[in-house]
Amino acid sequence: MNDKDLRTQTTSGSQKSAARVGIGGPVGSGKTALIECLIPDLVSRGIEVAVVTNDLVTKEDAKRLQNSGLISPDRVLPVEAGACPHTIIREDPSLNIAAADNLNASFPELDVIFIESGGDNLASTFSLDLVDYWMFVIDTGAGDDIPRKKGPGIIRSDLLVVNKIDIGPYVGANVDLIKQEAVEVRNHRPTLLTDCKRKIGIDALVDQLIQDVLFTDV
Amino acid sequence: MTEDNKIIPLMLLQHSDSAFPSGSVSFSWGLETLVNRGMVTKADDVQAFLNAHLIARWASLDRVILVHAHQSWSDPDRLSWLDTLTEVQSLSAEQRQGSKLMGAAMLQMHCKLGTKTARELSAGISKGRLYGHVPVVQGVLWRALNFDSYQAQSMAAHGLVTSILSAAVRLSVIGHADAQRIHSAFLPAVVAALQEPVLEPEEAHSFTPQIEIASMMHEMDEMRLFMN
Ligand SMILES: Nc1nc2c(ncn2[C@@H]2O[C@H](COP(=O)(O)OP(=O)(O)O)[C@@H](O)[C@H]2O)c(=O)[nH]1
Ligand SMILES: [Mg+2]
Repeated sequence: MNDKDLRTQTTSGSQKSAARVGIGGPVGSGKTALIECLIPDLVSRGIEVAVVTNDLVTKEDAKRLQNSGLISPDRVLPVEAGACPHTIIREDPSLNIAAADNLNASFPELDVIFIESGGDNLASTFSLDLVDYWMFVIDTGAGDDIPRKKGPGIIRSDLLVVNKIDIGPYVGANVDLIKQEAVEVRNHRPTLLTDCKRKIGIDALVDQLIQDVLFTDV
Repeated sequence: MTEDNKIIPLMLLQHSDSAFPSGSVSFSWGLETLVNRGMVTKADDVQAFLNAHLIARWASLDRVILVHAHQSWSDPDRLSWLDTLTEVQSLSAEQRQGSKLMGAAMLQMHCKLGTKTARELSAGISKGRLYGHVPVVQGVLWRALNFDSYQAQSMAAHGLVTSILSAAVRLSVIGHADAQRIHSAFLPAVVAALQEPVLEPEEAHSFTPQIEIASMMHEMDEMRLFMN
């Protein structure tokens, strides 16, 4: 998905529309934590960010981001998933599209809108009518056999993020093996390792996003 | 049957299928609050809830607006008036908001499909001439697709029934078989509602106090799966 400017593809409006980046993955893998790490890094590079959250039960994620001091609270919009997190990012993403359109209309300067899924299983994918690009976040705590379980989230995502590499040793998960097998099952498409607690791998992730979706000279 | 007529039943199925993206998966229309507060606990309660929605809200408000919008589909001023009537007849913010979100979701899809009049309606909303409540959007777009008034009303009623029953299943108050049993048992009530003479737009109204109160409480609820 490298060669054309995706930003002109998605939305109907004629003005610039921000790239839409989906963040999927199981509950607790670190999707919100990753967004919290990405925002300051992107902002420091002059990139304008907003977030749509798809909380499962509460508005926990939206509130957490709104209170984080990292981003203006009105740049975070929650969409509730009616107990079907995968439906609202794939079969019927209309409310997520509307939320992203709203953010775009309120903040025309936006470069990127992250859409965080409410948390899904390994089979979940994003509709390409909703996002230009999507990453799938797994964590080492779930075991080092996750890439071998394949699943569309792992195989088809534009970018696979293996988070919580810091806890691998404590749960007997071999981080190198995860990386190696992930690269294999993904046919060498990008896989990155991160640790949100110590902010390891965040710069590389931002570089990847800039290269693949933002096309900004920074 | 002409070729055109032969395709209509299939189009009816397509456009009233829950697979048609309408945002409805995110809405419970007050049911979540009643379930969380122990006021809806079994199949009979779900049926009563459905009945209240259909008779005391949909039939006397949404249906009326839908029928008139279907009739006046090419008259922007009248559509805007019908839309405003819907706005002022919805007491709780979440019911009002839900109706607009669903209208917008449906329009978004029809703009992509290139349905006649979808772009004009959408522009009307962007420019603030319309709220875009779901019965107005349904009336116009379904007329544009050549569905007659009775078909449009049946589709809207079907959408309401399936979305409430599906929310009830996801809230674990009824099972998947209960949902179909309630659905079947409920069809005569739907037909009866569709036989009633249609009110004038000025007479459109709704009276569902418990649902309105539940919706207002939902705005402040911590635990929520649904947008309303
Ligand atoms: N040790 C460690 N914990 C993390 C990391 N990333 C996230 N967490 C923790 O994992 C938990 C779930 O993270 P969260 O971002 O809420 O997951 P989400 O459900 O995918 O959004 C939280 O307690 C985070 O602090 C990481 O890289 N290392
Ligand atoms: Mg989260």
